Amino acid sequence: MFSYNFKYELKLLLRSRWIQLLSLVLLLIFGFATYNGLQKVEKRKSDILAAKNEVKENDEMMLKLLDSVERGLSVNASPWTIPTSPMAVGTYHPRVAAMEPRPMAFLSTGQADLFTHFVKPTVRSDAFDLNFTEMTSPVQLLFGSFDLAFVVIYLLPLLIIAFSYNVLSAEKESGSLRLLAAQPIRIQSWVLQKLGLRFFWLVLLVVVSLILVFVVLRLDFLSEFSTFLGLVGLILAYTLFWFAIAFLVNLWVGSSAKNAVALLGLWVTFVLLIPSVLNQLGNTIYPMPSRNLMINEMRSLKAEVTERQDEILDNFLRDHPEYALNDSTQARGFYHRYMASQKLIREELAPLVNSFEEQLQKQQNWIARYKWLSPAVLSQESLNKMAGTAKSDYEDYRKQVVAFAEKWREHLIPFLYNNQDFTQADYGDLPSFDYQTKSNNPWMVIIAILLMSIGLFATGFVLSKNRGRNIILNQG
Amino acid sequence: MIITNNLTKKYGDQIALDQLTLKVGEGEIYCLLGANGAGKSTTINLLLGFTEPTSGNASINQLDVHKNPKATKQLLAYIPENLMLYPSLTAVENLDYFSGISGKKLSTPILKDFLEEAGLQSEAFDKRISAFSKGMRQKVGIAIALAKDAKVLLLDEPTSGLDPKASNEFGQLLQKLRDKGVATLMATHDLFRAKEIGTHVGIMKDGRLKQEFIVDNITLNELEMFYLDTMTYKEETL
Repeated sequence: MFSYNFKYELKLLLRSRWIQLLSLVLLLIFGFATYNGLQKVEKRKSDILAAKNEVKENDEMMLKLLDSVERGLSVNASPWTIPTSPMAVGTYHPRVAAMEPRPMAFLSTGQADLFTHFVKPTVRSDAFDLNFTEMTSPVQLLFGSFDLAFVVIYLLPLLIIAFSYNVLSAEKESGSLRLLAAQPIRIQSWVLQKLGLRFFWLVLLVVVSLILVFVVLRLDFLSEFSTFLGLVGLILAYTLFWFAIAFLVNLWVGSSAKNAVALLGLWVTFVLLIPSVLNQLGNTIYPMPSRNLMINEMRSLKAEVTERQDEILDNFLRDHPEYALNDSTQARGFYHRYMASQKLIREELAPLVNSFEEQLQKQQNWIARYKWLSPAVLSQESLNKMAGTAKSDYEDYRKQVVAFAEKWREHLIPFLYNNQDFTQADYGDLPSFDYQTKSNNPWMVIIAILLMSIGLFATGFVLSKNRGRNIILNQG
Repeated sequence: MIITNNLTKKYGDQIALDQLTLKVGEGEIYCLLGANGAGKSTTINLLLGFTEPTSGNASINQLDVHKNPKATKQLLAYIPENLMLYPSLTAVENLDYFSGISGKKLSTPILKDFLEEAGLQSEAFDKRISAFSKGMRQKVGIAIALAKDAKVLLLDEPTSGLDPKASNEFGQLLQKLRDKGVATLMATHDLFRAKEIGTHVGIMKDGRLKQEFIVDNITLNELEMFYLDTMTYKEETL
């Protein structure tokens, strides 16, 4: 039966122009989505490049100023910006801590719309790390841009529904089902084969369309072949899930109209409702502490600390006797007091920031636990990870930036407390930021979705075992 | 050979078929006559395994239809009132598909031979079914039966809606199959065609087989009289 179904299903699809239409639609939406994604990545790259160029120009200016000062020439600059001061270097000549896009970043905008991809941590910046913590639920932030992830998660299931909703009901409505059922075949197996063949053609068209689009847009996907394979695997698993749903609906619902409504209802449930409900429940069960309260508390702490800066500086120097020993001048100014108090502020704010992050983490964990309810959530998260735009990527980037900011401060503070000038010779030793990406593995999600699909197919088979006769006579 | 033994089908309290016992031997054409709702189509549905009997049993070539659905469907061919084939496939392709999924792999020349034997004109072989008349589609149905080498033919109102010429051609095809030893059970309203091509006639009413005749033993007028008597009997008793 299979070889005949294979041969004639293809003929029927070609003659009804389904394959041609589907190829065109897939090429158009994949093409537009990839182009759209690439534009966003290009914008991100150019923003980072512009920031780096600005730093480069600033550095050239700084080196010129240092050269003039070191040669005893007078310089035309505000005294507090002259880079012999380590705090001027740390404040006015920061490095760019950039999150360079991954090669496949165009796949999914993910959270890229919401967060910056470069920051310039200065010695004085004390609140930039909080900016990264303003994340609520990743699920809420998952959807939006017309990128490949949107096409795969939202539009592909709709195409599958249009492609599969009436596999059995059309036969029933046209009257050919009775003739089919009079042949020595099982209707369930016949439906499964028909859907299997449609799945095969759809996946083939999707892969060919993707490759064509990538080639036309000159994307070097072969150098990222494992990610590309992951993408294909994920699309295959997600597509199979929707075909499994279509299999159940075809066997259980009835008329074409009812099938279409049932499948669209399931699309709304899996793609819209479950992510939204998970997000709402996550917010309700683990509400985030008020950010306003946190900022207020931070301000009052700063005000309090400012009043006792002399005392704080004394304590700081007591803890760091090396600074007192190395500096014969013992001259203490604004920055000495300020930097010592900043350290204290960070230490005292740590519990508050941690509680904010812990609550966020609880919320994330709750959602992570129930994300398995919807393959749409799983797939979106996987695509975000492939693109490097997942919540975890931004969290990782934030941690790297916080560590770099500390490194930047720690590099310049000895200059400050030793009352040592920053020189041209010290320029080469300035720390730089190098974003380290983590490798991701989508195969666990792929296997999970495949298992869900197989489970649905098996359920359909088992539950419809005694329904074969009803399928034929029931006109839905 | 088709045998039903006390075959009964109930839908809730409603009896659709009541203890039907009949036998259609090789080379016989058994015509089931009766008004709508008499139980003719239920009988066909039960023999096709589309529905399960409430009691009794049905067999095809000694194989119980409900215990051996695949094996019995291998032996039978079915032509409904409106034979719906795939409109975008040609006659040869439809025949190839339906015989193929039944396990008969046949070459194109052989498929065309079957279509020719079923009376389809050769110009129509490679035309799409969407352009076919009902009579032409019924011929493809007969070709499917020939290609399957069916031992049993089940027909549900096959001549309804056919013009007299097409109906006559169809009758001749059935007689050809009869000569090959095919056992045919045909549900029909057409007394004339039943008398012309049938070997046996059964008159059904309210799910029961009321009367049975060997066609050669009665005239068309007698058949019509018995039929009308059976149909009006209940009205008189009421």
